[in-house]
Amino acid sequence: MISNFWQHQQQQQRTFIQMGTRLKVVDNSGAKEVVCIQSLRGKKGARLGDIIICSVKQGLPEKKKGKYDAVPIGKKFNWKDFIGTGKVRKGNVVYGVVVRAKMQKGRVDGSQVCFDDNAIVILGIKEPKKNYSGGFYQPIGTRVFGPVPHELRLRKQLKILALAQDLV
Amino acid sequence: MRLVKCWFCSSTIYPGHGIQFVRNDAKIFRFCRSKCHKNFKMKRNPRKVKWTKAYRAAHGKDMTQDKTFEFEKKRNRPERYDRNVTEDTLKAIKKIDKIRSSREAQHINKRLKPNKQKIFKSEVKEIDQNISLIKAPGSYQQDSEKMKVSVSTSKSVQNEAMEE
Repeated sequence: MISNFWQHQQQQQRTFIQMGTRLKVVDNSGAKEVVCIQSLRGKKGARLGDIIICSVKQGLPEKKKGKYDAVPIGKKFNWKDFIGTGKVRKGNVVYGVVVRAKMQKGRVDGSQVCFDDNAIVILGIKEPKKNYSGGFYQPIGTRVFGPVPHELRLRKQLKILALAQDLV
Repeated sequence: MRLVKCWFCSSTIYPGHGIQFVRNDAKIFRFCRSKCHKNFKMKRNPRKVKWTKAYRAAHGKDMTQDKTFEFEKKRNRPERYDRNVTEDTLKAIKKIDKIRSSREAQHINKRLKPNKQKIFKSEVKEIDQNISLIKAPGSYQQDSEKMKVSVSTSKSVQNEAMEE
């Protein structure tokens, strides 16, 4: 009796962050959107607070030669004309930590939390043939936008917690 | 541990229940169960959804202003544990609950009372008009005549006896 459309609606549940998932970047490292290549934790995929390897799909526009190089005599320097590149650009393979996930995550007090979107903070560029092991990377950006969960404290992402606007 | 209210239906959320949704402007919405969560996702306004407390308060169905509500306030200062205070508080909670629920019931009673009187009056009227559905119109009159006759005969017998 249930039509195909409603069946799809009922089966749609919040899912893990896996290969192919697009995430928003919420720091000022230069990337805007990123696609997950690998989740470093869990067979099914990454959740809130986990670290993933991703490829940058969209970043800040590249510097255009001539616009910033020399300001013609008599013309005032305008910040609007200045297009800077970030630390990370399109095509880079980076590490990121998931700071917001649509899929709900259980907390120690029994509650479940979910956010409005999937967002990451970029931790560093992945060098080829080198694995993420040993120490904990800290973010390469200097600002973090939006709310950020406590779960990062357990993952030792203290810099993100310090930079965050709101702590949930 | 803190007991919070569901954003949609205003029922208390006990630990281990429900979902917290954090919007990107850092506003937290707590839901007691998926029913409320799904209604929120459908962008329904709780003030228009009949089974929520918000609707009932907005439409005057439930009591909203009472001194008993002031006891249940969100306090951010933790209280130093004192055994006597805890004991007294627990007793007080029970008593206040009783008083509040009886007041709420009274409020609803008062609201429904004029309607009850109206219903009673209309029912009386209905009986008067439609008694013929139960008793045939003729039989009703016969019963009353019979009554009259029996009274008169007994009196006349007595009178004759007295006269003689």
